[in-house]
Amino acid sequence: MIDVARIDHWAASGLGPFHRASTPAKLLFLLFVVSSAVITRNPYPLMAGYGVLLAVAAASGLPWLKVMVLSWYAALFAILYAISLRGGGWLASLFIVKAITPSFAVLMLIVSTPYPRIFSLFSALLPEILAAGLFMTYRTLFILLDMMDSFAAAIRLRGGFSPGSLYKNSANISKGIGMLLVRAVERASRLYAVMVVRGYSGSMAEKGSIRFQREDWLPLGTGTAVLVLVLVWK
Amino acid sequence: MTHMHIPDGILPVGLWVLGLIVMALAVGFSLFRLRGMDMIKKIPLLGAVSAVMLVAMSLEILPLFYHINLSVVAGILLGPALGFLAAFIANLILALMGHGGITVIGLNTLLLGSEAVLGHTLFYLFKNQLPVFWRAVTATVLTLFMTTVALIGIVAVSHIDPELISHGDEHVLIHKGQVSVQTFAIMVLSLGVIGWSIEAAITGAVVKFISQVKPDLLDHALHREKDGK
Repeated sequence: MIDVARIDHWAASGLGPFHRASTPAKLLFLLFVVSSAVITRNPYPLMAGYGVLLAVAAASGLPWLKVMVLSWYAALFAILYAISLRGGGWLASLFIVKAITPSFAVLMLIVSTPYPRIFSLFSALLPEILAAGLFMTYRTLFILLDMMDSFAAAIRLRGGFSPGSLYKNSANISKGIGMLLVRAVERASRLYAVMVVRGYSGSMAEKGSIRFQREDWLPLGTGTAVLVLVLVWK
Repeated sequence: MTHMHIPDGILPVGLWVLGLIVMALAVGFSLFRLRGMDMIKKIPLLGAVSAVMLVAMSLEILPLFYHINLSVVAGILLGPALGFLAAFIANLILALMGHGGITVIGLNTLLLGSEAVLGHTLFYLFKNQLPVFWRAVTATVLTLFMTTVALIGIVAVSHIDPELISHGDEHVLIHKGQVSVQTFAIMVLSLGVIGWSIEAAITGAVVKFISQVKPDLLDHALHREKDGK
């Protein structure tokens, strides 16, 4: 289960140097790390890069241990893919490190940047319907997660959940999702109507601007370090 | 079913770049198709359905540890163009959560988006022929079969020779990809039947529930043009 609410809490409550850096700088950091994973053909520099990210996350006060555990989720498909290629241990380790390093960088971005800041930057680049759709999805998601928690608790209390019964669980989940959909549409329509009444005319109040600041040295320096490691250590 | 959890840096660059280009064209075409629609009704609906897709993707069905996508539901409720945009939004947010790579957003959106488009088309193709539950079930099974074949195609195309990656490293046991693609196809298609059944049953039940509780959602009444056409 993706714990979106916890990720949002980390993003909004942190005060470390990575939190203080600008969003464009952190997106550039992500671009550098993803590029490193794409171009490398040797697992060792990326392993070193993963170590660098881990050290920076720990030094910046990010929840590095939880981020590390979450980043390993990406390794699962990489392992299956490596097995299907039958490339041996070396290739499997390359694929695993190619998977977990960008995943760690993405997680560093999202646990240190509140979603509205990322979306406001997107709104400068994307068409209005996509930017507003992203924002509405984000707002509705948290409402739905709360509703789903209440629904799950109600199901458990009334004995509607049994780990062994696929039919019963699927039937109850279907009803829950149907109810969730109807309520989500109603709530989103009401929320959007309120936004329109308050002056929303299709654009975000906080427009993302590409402006760098002094604290950006950390994400930019870290991203560059990982990229240089991959380029130099072939 | 066909959301790929492939991380960055694994698929060949040409493949994911092509995926991003085709996705951009498809998103552009969808936006063009939506140009006359009422934003006040359309955006909340898009946000709500995309959010429900994300919630559904976060729910694991025990004991199979399988998660549904609801992309066919999105297609049925939103129509093909808006359904495709919902798939894009869901994939973008998933990638930002580290669930699937950023570079594979294009391919993932094409797969999920085509489920929305095919699901919508098939659901309305069987109109007046089957009850609403079985229409949704049939549309889902056929859609998932077609997109799973597309997924196997992507994996087959991406099965590069390991030697190209490893510079012929002595630790690498090199086999050509053809046999493993067959194994992958057999594995995915046989396991897929279970996944399609679950997704189809849930989609059928959700669509039936909506048809009983809020039937105007199925008639697309919420996202018609401003003049009510």
